[in-house]
Amino acid sequence: MTRQDIENEVRDIFLREFEVENPELDVNLREAYGFDSIDAIDLLLEIEKFLGSELTRDEKKQAMDIRTMRQIIDYIEMLAEKRHAAQGQGT
Amino acid sequence: MTDRRVVITACSAITPIGNSRDKIVESLLKGISGVKPLREDELIGRFIHSRVYGTVSDPIVYDFKRQHRKTMGPVAYYACQVAREVLEQSGLSPEFVTGGRLGIAFGSIHGSPTVQRDIYKIFLGAKDKETYQTIGAVDYLKSMVHTTAVNISKMFGITGRIISSGTACTTSSQSIGFGYESVKYGLQDAMLCGGADEYDTITVAVFDNLLACSTAFNDQPEKTPRPFDRARDGLVVAEGAGAVMLEEYEFAKKRGAPILGEVIGFACNSNGGDLILPNLDGITKTLQLGLENAEISASDVDLISAHATATKMGDIIEAQAIGAVFGSNPHVMALKSYMGHTMAACGVIETVLTLYMMQENFIAPTLNLEDIDERCAMVRHVQKLIEHPVKTAAIQNFAFGGVNTSLLIRKLT
Repeated sequence: MTRQDIENEVRDIFLREFEVENPELDVNLREAYGFDSIDAIDLLLEIEKFLGSELTRDEKKQAMDIRTMRQIIDYIEMLAEKRHAAQGQGT
Repeated sequence: MTDRRVVITACSAITPIGNSRDKIVESLLKGISGVKPLREDELIGRFIHSRVYGTVSDPIVYDFKRQHRKTMGPVAYYACQVAREVLEQSGLSPEFVTGGRLGIAFGSIHGSPTVQRDIYKIFLGAKDKETYQTIGAVDYLKSMVHTTAVNISKMFGITGRIISSGTACTTSSQSIGFGYESVKYGLQDAMLCGGADEYDTITVAVFDNLLACSTAFNDQPEKTPRPFDRARDGLVVAEGAGAVMLEEYEFAKKRGAPILGEVIGFACNSNGGDLILPNLDGITKTLQLGLENAEISASDVDLISAHATATKMGDIIEAQAIGAVFGSNPHVMALKSYMGHTMAACGVIETVLTLYMMQENFIAPTLNLEDIDERCAMVRHVQKLIEHPVKTAAIQNFAFGGVNTSLLIRKLT
């Protein structure tokens, strides 16, 4: 999974779930698009679906400081790498 | 603090007989009913004996942003629509609306049954954790009992007090009454008050099981309900919403607001006994307390908007109470005859329609009242449309659970 794949998926989620078309990478999502606490919970569910695995409580807590698209993409990339590494250890 | 006067500066309703003032007035003048065949719900509808429902038929064009829509079930759509219309009509400034001196009193009988039904479907059909997780974070916000009030608060940035009564058929008459008290005693300068309920077959099933629903006119929906008529055979459940803006009189006058009427009194009590059966002592007391609160006498009241759901005993008890308190002087009419029982919305819808009749100087007849039940005959029923000025009206509502309200409104001349 490339960073571009992640960005495309997040853009799809934003369009489908939050009716936000092509959000800018570095703007504050709350200020620019009215993205609020309820959206954040829904986004975490969508990320779980995308990754095909549940997020731990610690991972969810890590998401609490996210404010921009770029931070969301960084966050998913970190989670994907962590899962990839865990899978590698298991084989 | 000296008691302050409270006036109505805007009103709006979504009803089975129209969603605009013009359409509603036309329906009242022409005697048009909004009762329609019950819609199939693919759940319990086929087991219900009553096949009629007071249905909102005119299309509503909603223009709500996503961040608001996501926490709204159908009942909140109705509520926010009438709230928007009332806010626009009132002309209150955005600074005032968000400044903390405007509060909300708004409710529904049990939130959004449509959303609750979807939650139960998932809950009962779930076989794995993933399915449970499809019950979203917002489902509670859409379905909870105060969903109407808080969605209005969020959509319009209203920061004053929230009152969200959920007392079945007295929900919105309490909204207006508690809103009136909030302004009268200086707790707020204005209150946006009302109630709403969405299309719901479970409510029909409840009354159907109690043998309280109309079943004899399933093939002629417009012939039922029939308040006070000998052939009445029960209530008709309905959907709808209504809202009024209450303001402190001097504040409204100073800003040049249109004043549609004044709330001059409110009473609310409970029967303290049986939760279902109508209670003559309880509602007689309510009507007396309403007059005392308004500091007027029974002879000052020109028009009574009766609760009159068209149940056998409810109408008799109400007529007896009206007769005991008001005698046979005021005209008595039953607005549910036009649309059925809009549940949480009935008190505010009946208030709004009474204001329309006050403004237009007519009294609409009780629809389908062809042969007055002699046990209800002690009051002055309106059977034909009459041109008649109304200065003071009483709007009375009584709820399951033994809750009673009486609202008194007056036209300012």
